[in-house]
Amino acid sequence: MRLFQKSNINFMGHRKIAYVISTVLLVAGLVSLFVRGLNYGIDFKGGSEVVIRFEKPVDVATVRSIMRQANVSGMVKQYGMDRSLLLKTDFQGNTATLKSLISNSLATNLASNPAEILSIQAVGPSIASDMKMSALKALAAALIGILLYVSIRFEFKFAVAGVVAIFHDVLTVLGLFSLLGGLFDYMPLEVDQSIIAAFLTIAGYSITDTVVVYDRIRERLRGQKPSDYERIFNESLNQTLSRTVITSGTTMLTVLVLFFFAGPAIRGFAFAMFAGILIGTYSSIFVAAPIVFDWQRRSKNPIKLKGA
Amino acid sequence: MKNNTFKLILIAVVALVSVWSIWPTYRDYALTKKLNSFDSRADSLKFALDHRQEIEQAHDKSLKLGLDLKGGMHLVMEVDILDLIEQKAWNKDDKFNRIMDNVRRQAGESNDNVVNILAAEFRKENIKLSRYFYDLRDSDQEVISKLNAEAQDALIRAKEIIRNRIDQYGVAEPVIQTQGSRRLIIELSGVTDEARVRRLLMGTAKLEFKLVKEPQQLLRAVERAGTVSLQAPSRPVQADSAQVSAGGVVAKKLSEVIGVMPNGQVFTPAYAHDLVAAALKRDDVNALLPQDTQLLLSAKPEQTAKGEKYYLLYLVQKTPELTGGVITEAKATFSSQDSQPEVLMSMNDEGTSKWARITGANIGKQIAIVLDGSVYSAPVVQSRIPSGNSVINGIGSLDEAKDLEIILKAGSLPAPVRILEERTVGPSLGSDYIRDGLLSVTWGFTAVALFMIFYYHKAGIAADLALVLNILIVISVLAGFSAALTLPGIAGIVLTMGMAVDANVLIYERIREELADGKSLRMAIDTGYNKAFSSILDSHVTTLAAAFLLYVYGVGPVQGFAVTLMIGTAASLFTAIVVTKVLFDLFFESKLMNEKSFG
Repeated sequence: MRLFQKSNINFMGHRKIAYVISTVLLVAGLVSLFVRGLNYGIDFKGGSEVVIRFEKPVDVATVRSIMRQANVSGMVKQYGMDRSLLLKTDFQGNTATLKSLISNSLATNLASNPAEILSIQAVGPSIASDMKMSALKALAAALIGILLYVSIRFEFKFAVAGVVAIFHDVLTVLGLFSLLGGLFDYMPLEVDQSIIAAFLTIAGYSITDTVVVYDRIRERLRGQKPSDYERIFNESLNQTLSRTVITSGTTMLTVLVLFFFAGPAIRGFAFAMFAGILIGTYSSIFVAAPIVFDWQRRSKNPIKLKGA
Repeated sequence: MKNNTFKLILIAVVALVSVWSIWPTYRDYALTKKLNSFDSRADSLKFALDHRQEIEQAHDKSLKLGLDLKGGMHLVMEVDILDLIEQKAWNKDDKFNRIMDNVRRQAGESNDNVVNILAAEFRKENIKLSRYFYDLRDSDQEVISKLNAEAQDALIRAKEIIRNRIDQYGVAEPVIQTQGSRRLIIELSGVTDEARVRRLLMGTAKLEFKLVKEPQQLLRAVERAGTVSLQAPSRPVQADSAQVSAGGVVAKKLSEVIGVMPNGQVFTPAYAHDLVAAALKRDDVNALLPQDTQLLLSAKPEQTAKGEKYYLLYLVQKTPELTGGVITEAKATFSSQDSQPEVLMSMNDEGTSKWARITGANIGKQIAIVLDGSVYSAPVVQSRIPSGNSVINGIGSLDEAKDLEIILKAGSLPAPVRILEERTVGPSLGSDYIRDGLLSVTWGFTAVALFMIFYYHKAGIAADLALVLNILIVISVLAGFSAALTLPGIAGIVLTMGMAVDANVLIYERIREELADGKSLRMAIDTGYNKAFSSILDSHVTTLAAAFLLYVYGVGPVQGFAVTLMIGTAASLFTAIVVTKVLFDLFFESKLMNEKSFG
C-alpha cells in the first residue's frame, strides 16, 4: 500500500491561501490569549491540588457541598476513574491543616463511603513565578540553539523561516489552549510544567519536520537556476509528502494512545502534542518552505547551500 | 558481509549490555513477587534471610521509580536567611525595620540572593550597611561578602542538619539538593506520614528554659492583651485556616477565645489554637505585656472530663535562663512514673553548672521547657539539680519523642525553614500511574508496530526489531545511571518511539522512490540509506539539542522528560543508522528480501 504516490500538488501556487489561514489562526489565538488568558495550573499560579479516592462511586455535587460547608473554597471535579475526585483550592498554607480539614469533614458527612487522600500538592507563589521564568528561559534557549544549528547546516533564511514556523506552531497551540481551556471537564488544558515540556517537544518536532523538507530542497537545488525554484520547491514537498504524513500519523497515533490511556494527569500534555504535531506538519509545508521561497524571490542572491 | 561483522558485534554488545542492565530490575520484581507469595510471615522471612544478598543486589541495581510513580514526598524548602541576617544586626531602629520589611517582601517574590536585595535597598536609602552590621569601619563590600559567607554557611549547615535528621529517621535514598542561594529540594520516596516528616524537617529545635511568672501577673497580662481585636492582625498569619477550624465560632476579640479556670489556669479551646497562636506573635499584643515577658501556649492539648480539648497559656520571662546549645545527649523513653513518653537530656559542663545555679535559685518556682516557642512542660523546681540532667515530658507519642531526640541530637537549624512547595503522592496513586503508563506504552508500541508491518511488510519487521532494541536501550540506560523513571519519562519513551519510526520511514520512503526510479534492490537500499542520512542526522541533532537545553533550563518533571528524550533520540540514531541497515544486509544476503518487501 502507498499513500501519495506521485502526488503533484502545487503548494507554492496556493501559498497565499495558507498565509491567510495561518494569519487567521494566529490572530484568533492571540486575541484569545489577551482576552481570556491561559488556564494556569498550580505550578504557575500557586495553590493546592488534592486527589481523593472514595471506596464507592460518589456524587461530585455532594462532595462539593461538603467542601463548601467546611469552608474549603475551590473546584471539585471528577479525576480519572469515577471513584476519584480532584479538589483545587487557592489554599497555600500548611497542607497538614488542609488534609485534616478535608478528611475530617468527609469522614463526618460521608461516613458510609470512606475516602483516602491519594496525593496532595501545594505550590507557593514565589516558586510558581520561578517556574514560569525557567520555562521561558528553556524555550528561548531551545529556539536560539535551533536557529544556530539550522543556520550552520543550511542557510540563515532557512533558519529564520524555521523559527518563524516554530513560533507559528507554539503560538497556535497556546491560542488553542486559551480558547478551549476550561471548556471540557475531562480535559482541563491547564498550563503547567508538563505542558512546557510538550511545547518544547512541539518546537523540536516542528523543526524536525521542517528540516526534512529543507533537506530535500537543498538536495534538489544544486545546479538549478533561480527561475526553476518554484518547480523544485513543489517537487521537494511532494516527494517528502508521504514521509511527512506517515511520520506525523504514527506519532499522532502514539500521542492519541497517551491521551486515552495514560490517565488524567497527562491528558492536557497529550492534547498539546497532538495539536502541535498536526500544526507542525502543516507549517513545515505551508509556512516554512513558502517563507524561504518568497524571501528568495525578493533577494538578489541565489541560495548558497552548505552542508551535505 | 565483511564490513558488517564489526556492526554485528557492536549491536550484540549493545543488546547484551541492555539486557544485563535490565536484569536486576526483573530479578527485583520477581523476588518481590516471590516474597509476597508466601502464606506465612515466617516463610517469607526465612526466604528473605536465605537470599538476602541477592535481594539487596537486585534492588540496588534495579530501575528506580520517580516519586510520582512510587509515592513519597517532594519538598522545596527555604532557609530564612533574612531571619539570620536580622539576628546579626545591632542598633536596630525603625528605619532598619522598615527596610527589612521591604527586603522581606521582595525576597518572598523571587529567588534572588537576599544579601543582594538587602544591599540594593540600603543603596537606595543611601545608608551604609556597616551602620547595622559588623564593624563601623567596614566598607559595604566587606559587609556584603561577610553576610554572603554567613548566608552560604547557613544553607550548607541547614542541609547537613536536615540530612542528619532524615538519616536518623531512616528514609532509603533521600535526595537533598541546594537550589540557588537559599532553597533546598528534598525528595523522600516511600514516605507517607507527611505530618511527621514536616515536623522533623521544620523543627528548629530551639530549646529554651524560661522562668514562669506568678499566676496574678498572668491574669493581669491576659486581661490587658484580651482587649485587642482579632480582625486586623499586623501581619496575616494564615488567618484562613484558623477561622475554618473555629467550628463556626468567629471571635472578634482575643478575650472571647481565652478563659480562666477556677484553679487560676488560663486556657484556650483547641479550635481557637491557631488564631490565638497567631495573635500572640503580634507586636501590638506583645506591647501590652509587662517588659521582658511573653505569652506562650502549651505544645499539647489537655482534655476535660467531657473530652473537650484545650491549650494552656503561660506568661514567661522572655530572656531564657538556658538554651539548648548545652545539650549533649538526648534519649526518648517512657517515664518511670506514669509511662508517658519523654526525652531525657544531659548537658555539658557549662550547662550543668548553670542549671545547678538556676534550679538552686528558683526552688518552688516553675521553669518552662520551651521548644520552638511552645511550652512542653513547666515543672516546679523541687530542689537544686547538680547533675545537668533535664527532661521534656508532655509529649503525645513515642514517635514524637523519638523525632525530638533526633532533632536535639542533630543540632538546631541556623535559621528557620519554610516549606514553599510540597507534593505528596500516595503509593496507591503511584501504582495506578504505573499501570496506566505501562498500558499506554504497550498500546502505543503495538499500534505503531502493526502499522509498520501493514505498510512496509518485511521492512516493517526490521523497523519493529529496531524499535524493541530502542526501548530496551532507553530503559537500560535509565537503570544503569540510577536515573528515576517518572510519568513524564514514560511520555518521553512514547515520543521516542515516534522518533525512531520516523527515521525508518525516511529511509523506506527513499528506498521506494529509488525502486520507482528503476534501480535494483541492492542499489535502492544503499542509495536510500545514503540520501536519508542527512535528514535523519539533522532532525535527530535538532531534537537532541532541544532536549538538552530543556534539561539544562527546565526544572523538575521537565528534566525527567528531557533525559528520556535525549537517551531515546541517541538510541534512535543508532538503531536507524546501524541496526536496520545490518538487518537489511542480512535479509538481502539470505535472499529473504525482494522488491516487494517494501510494500
